[in-house]
Amino acid sequence: MTEQLAKAPAVGDVLPAIEIPITLQRLVMEAGANRDFSLMHHDSAVAQSAGASAAFANTFFLMGMFERLVRNWAGSRIRFKKIGPLKMLNFNVVGDTLLFRGKVVAIDEVERGEKWLLNLWCESERGQTTTCMVEVIKE
Amino acid sequence: MSDVGWGLWGSWEETEACLNTVVGEWWGPDPVEPGSIRRWLEPKEFDCAIHTDVGAARAVGFPDLVAPASMVFSYGVAPYWSPGDSSKSIDDEPTQIQIPVIFNVPAPCNKSFATSMEVEFNEPLYPGDVVGCVSRLIDIQRKTLKVGPGAFLRQEDTYTKQSGEVIAVANLDIFRFYAEQGVTK
Repeated sequence: MTEQLAKAPAVGDVLPAIEIPITLQRLVMEAGANRDFSLMHHDSAVAQSAGASAAFANTFFLMGMFERLVRNWAGSRIRFKKIGPLKMLNFNVVGDTLLFRGKVVAIDEVERGEKWLLNLWCESERGQTTTCMVEVIKE
Repeated sequence: MSDVGWGLWGSWEETEACLNTVVGEWWGPDPVEPGSIRRWLEPKEFDCAIHTDVGAARAVGFPDLVAPASMVFSYGVAPYWSPGDSSKSIDDEPTQIQIPVIFNVPAPCNKSFATSMEVEFNEPLYPGDVVGCVSRLIDIQRKTLKVGPGAFLRQEDTYTKQSGEVIAVANLDIFRFYAEQGVTK
């Protein structure tokens, strides 16, 4: 359930982390839902030929999980202004348990409220796999 | 970090000829509707009422339930098959998602990996909206990395509604390169 922030955020605030296991079933559900049917995202043999150890999560899944991380923390009264740069540093493969984390790095006044700059990342057992900056507007 | 062996073969002169031109243009086949939103939320275990409940969305100022911002890509994917298209044969190459149109740009490369993506959002997506996309090749930076000689290619994708309103503008960077042999990552 998405809660609303109890108090105004401050630079340095840490977002509550989200843990999610990557299974082949989840990747297949994700492909059906986001329409990225590239084989490497649901066929481990193809993914291995590309250098991954197994089928790996696609960009849209990662972007959506970062959106979930922010919504879970900030609630429904913010609007996404920008997601990215989203940088893929390593594969997020079947068998991994991913941890999505983030923190507030800047708060600026804008014409119609505040702009919050968030530094987000995803970790697996192999360390940081993905980084992502996000800007949201709170009117 | 994806490493795929597909992409149109050609010379660097042919690559340069595509700079600042439209390299892809299409419409997503399906309008925004609650069922596809629910199925998108499901594998992410994403629970936020503005995406599923009209009342919750209206309570925070949206006119209707609103699709997650990053769903713009999914609604903007062209169909994999349409009535009138030929049937797939078992020997056909699998159809790849068409969003990285950089692969339709000729280049002397046989491998690639995506390096970065960013998207700036303008208009939210509501039920009934249909999404179109126009892609331009906006940058080519030739470079030799450890994996081989190639170039960083950047495409700019502008997503619009049927009304012409711009929903989002995305930049996707992919390094395409020539690998002599074996798997490179």
